[in-house]
Amino acid sequence: MTLSAFAQAVVDGVLTGGVYALMAAGLTLIFGVMDIINIAQGIMVILGAYLSYELSAHVGIGLLPGLLLTVPAMFVLGVAIEFGFMRRLRDQDRTQMSILVTYAVAIVIEGIVTAVAGVDYVQLQASYVNSSIHMLGFYLPDIYLIGFGLAVALMAGLYFMLYRTKFGHAVRASLQNRTAADLIGIDVSRVRTISVGIGVAVTAVGGMVFGATNAFNPNTGYDLISRLLAIVILGGMGSIGGAMGAAIFLLVINDVVAVWWSPTWAPLVYFAALVVVLSVRPRGLFGRAAVRAQ
Amino acid sequence: MSILRRPALAAAAVGAALAMAVWAIGGGDRANAASGSAPITIGTSLSLSGDFSSDGVAFQRGYELWVADQNKAGGLLGHQIKLNVLSDASSPAQVVSNYERLIGSDHDALVFGPFSSLLTVPAARIAARYGYAFVEGAGGAPSVFGAGLSNVFDVSLPVKLNLVTFAQWIASLPASERPKTAAYATVNDPFTQPQLPLAQQILQKAGVKTVLSKVFPEEVTDYTAIAGQVASAHPDVFILGAVDVPTVSAFTHVFIQQHYNPKAFIATAGPDQGAAFVNAVGTGNENGIMVPNGWYGGFKKADSEKMVAEYIAKYGGTASGVNADVAEAYSVGQVLAQAVNATHSFDQKKIIAYLKSGVTLNSVQGPVKFDKLGENIALKTLTFQWQNGKLVQVLPLGGAGTVKPLFPKPAWQG
Amino acid sequence: MSEPGSGAPGAGMHAIPAQPPPARRAPVLGAIGVTLAVFAAFPVLFTDPTTTSIAFFTLIFMISATAWNIFSGYSGYLALGHAVFFGSGAYAVAMSAKSWHVAGGWPVFALLPFGGLIAGAIAIPVGLVALRTRRHTFVVVTIAIFFIFQLAATNFGFTGGTSGMLFPIAPFSAANYNQPFYYVALALLVATTFVSWSVRRSRFGLQLLAIRDDEDRALGLGVKTRRVKLGAFVLSAVPVGMAGGLYFYFVGQVFPQFAFDPLFDLALALMAFLGGLGTVAGPLLGALVLESLQQYLTQTFSSDAIYLIAYGVLFLAVILILPRGVVPSIATLVRRRHAARSHPAGTMPEPRLRETAA
Repeated sequence: MTLSAFAQAVVDGVLTGGVYALMAAGLTLIFGVMDIINIAQGIMVILGAYLSYELSAHVGIGLLPGLLLTVPAMFVLGVAIEFGFMRRLRDQDRTQMSILVTYAVAIVIEGIVTAVAGVDYVQLQASYVNSSIHMLGFYLPDIYLIGFGLAVALMAGLYFMLYRTKFGHAVRASLQNRTAADLIGIDVSRVRTISVGIGVAVTAVGGMVFGATNAFNPNTGYDLISRLLAIVILGGMGSIGGAMGAAIFLLVINDVVAVWWSPTWAPLVYFAALVVVLSVRPRGLFGRAAVRAQ
Repeated sequence: MSILRRPALAAAAVGAALAMAVWAIGGGDRANAASGSAPITIGTSLSLSGDFSSDGVAFQRGYELWVADQNKAGGLLGHQIKLNVLSDASSPAQVVSNYERLIGSDHDALVFGPFSSLLTVPAARIAARYGYAFVEGAGGAPSVFGAGLSNVFDVSLPVKLNLVTFAQWIASLPASERPKTAAYATVNDPFTQPQLPLAQQILQKAGVKTVLSKVFPEEVTDYTAIAGQVASAHPDVFILGAVDVPTVSAFTHVFIQQHYNPKAFIATAGPDQGAAFVNAVGTGNENGIMVPNGWYGGFKKADSEKMVAEYIAKYGGTASGVNADVAEAYSVGQVLAQAVNATHSFDQKKIIAYLKSGVTLNSVQGPVKFDKLGENIALKTLTFQWQNGKLVQVLPLGGAGTVKPLFPKPAWQG
Repeated sequence: MSEPGSGAPGAGMHAIPAQPPPARRAPVLGAIGVTLAVFAAFPVLFTDPTTTSIAFFTLIFMISATAWNIFSGYSGYLALGHAVFFGSGAYAVAMSAKSWHVAGGWPVFALLPFGGLIAGAIAIPVGLVALRTRRHTFVVVTIAIFFIFQLAATNFGFTGGTSGMLFPIAPFSAANYNQPFYYVALALLVATTFVSWSVRRSRFGLQLLAIRDDEDRALGLGVKTRRVKLGAFVLSAVPVGMAGGLYFYFVGQVFPQFAFDPLFDLALALMAFLGGLGTVAGPLLGALVLESLQQYLTQTFSSDAIYLIAYGVLFLAVILILPRGVVPSIATLVRRRHAARSHPAGTMPEPRLRETAA
């Protein structure tokens, strides 16, 4: 393998890592604030992609402007799911029950998407889906650059929200100690509802970029869940920057092994790396002990 | 909470009990022997959800079109046909219970195969147990024919020969035009993997150097690294072993982004999926991409053209947009009907003996003749190419209805 | 959702039904006898092959969910990777049948313990690695290990790769083909249920429950938590391995993506939750209802979109109405009725682990 192929694989890994971070950001937020494993994250990515598809193919609204509609729509969906199901789970077995509830939610969403859109594969099209810029001897695809840019912008936005706003203060307080947050007058259940809404809303952006880089149908979401969970756990639950770091770390490993050795062994190395890191550092690469008692 | 819980609990218990009762009763014997001129039932199980769902739906349409046509022409031996499609959600357990239901419980007169080589063996084993002929259109992997079953008949092409026509054409090009290098990448799948080595052998013998050969896993959701490696190797010919649209589409998008355009690009499946394929790669980018198959929407054959016209009348679209699965399914019906008519019975033993007799039958995909494993040896591998928005037949050169291949492949539309 | 004791720190996560008093043991034994008789007579009463086929698959899931519950239900560690054992057991049986030229029919059933043994052997290193972590991390580590096995089965040559492996054909007649499989599965189910019940009543079982309620506290009280967890993990893997061998022998062929199916992992968890996690009867009931209903509904509804929506909605309704599963909810109901008769309102004792453990 030549050095340039290696470099190309690293560049690919970093760029696709951005897309995965976009898809996982919402998951880590919900995870951190609610202690909920959202099995429906995969189908939510696909739902976001379908919303973008319907707008661009049938209404004529482009992918990027379309986000102004799909993001609020997904926010409403997230709030509705939290309000309808997640808040009914009791604290002591919330994590376990959340797997059931969100799996059921995933089945319902898959059924609705199948009924409306059918099972034929579709892919999002736009002028920037196939174009690329030439830089340092590499062709960098515009859609991945856009995805990476969106990921950085969203991470920064979420960081700002969590650490510079009153709402973020409330989120962090209820994340660390619910009872104490209650005592200092924070409306914990409202904070949770809005956090889940934001988490699902962010997924709309991930869905758009995924749908522009992959053909998808309602069943595609299941292939994503395991990878997204891996990223969230490796990054440390609730750590937005950690999700970004973990996504890039895992995708670079994946792509380098695929190019260097064999694509069929790449995911195996990917999951093995995850298991090794977690058995040494159970709270993930970037997780802080304070986020969640292990 | 307790006010809510008690009636709900009772309701849940009653519901569960009812479901169990329905299940036990519903499974009861429903004889469906062909007597007098009562309608007969043909049963099948298809993947209407799960991994194979897009193919499953196309198969259902093919079966339904054939049933409608056959009924219009008087049915089978004077019986009108009812099609009973069960859903198997791409699960082997469900496929087993479904064929037990179709054959063991309902005693359907005939059964059609499911979709995918992976589900064919479990289904065919049940049919074999009951002595049923198992005619199918989508179980062409060597693992199916190696399973020691004497009742399986696949009306479609045996997949291992799929790329041979294409490879021979490349090898036959004059030395000055002939590509110098080739790359091979295939998904880890029993349908695609047997196809590539044969093509590679033929091309290497003709002096086409292999610059890259890779196998990638099935559940990839990101192809940039693999496709990028192909693009940077810059082979003249790229042969892709794929089972679905997303794989071909992902490679295509990366190639465009990397400004790499092979002189010839063929994928084992994906480009045959009609409109769904064009939609995924982006209109215009399909131009010049090839696919081997036994059939395409513009196939020049009277019964095929009639079927395509009916398909378009019912589901819309264009001839090029008709999924090849539709023809595979339709052929299954045609072949079974010919066996039933020739033997004048629904006797499975006679049907199996007839199909094994070496007789040549007709289907929308072309002639059908089974060897002793149940492979169709009469069908020739054709190769198709997308040209200006239409899928046209290009190989073998000079065949009926063929046009000249676009070579080298035109530039991407972007 | 105010459950008894939910607010108190350190209270049992799940109420544990107390041992039935001696006077109530006879009816319990009678009920078990009747249930067993119904299961044994079922394929004789309902000979229809669709029914016996669905019944067989239902038994497989009852075995697997019960075995899964021995570890996950009692210890509170949510394992989403038991398909590793299901698939390994299947491959072990398929490979040994092939290399030892075992004829189809009853001899293959004799290989099932070997499948269980291999599954148990694999569970030791898997458990040693995965049990270093807790909670969410444990869940994800089991998922990751699961994918490593699925990919390995696809990539290695000795597993037959993507073409999978064939089982020898059983020479049973078509009409009675399902019965031998059914009775072997039933025997395995009885054995697995007995193990689950014995663990639940043993000191070992109490140690697992202590880990579920508060692992650090259990460690402080002298429970050898690592050894106990690993023991339960291996014990729960063995029946799943045997069930996997039996399942794929019935299907006839084993492929990596079906042997190592992530939906299998989810299915076990759903069944145990629905019936009642950590109870002996819960996973049995959950698997019985879910698997049979799912097979029947999938077969019946030709429109999958509507089926998916109906299934999901039904599921959500059950989870929200019976958050602890069917068996504990009924047990609570019965106890409340009982208590209402013998105690004045409001003085009913709350079931607590410490009371039963003492």
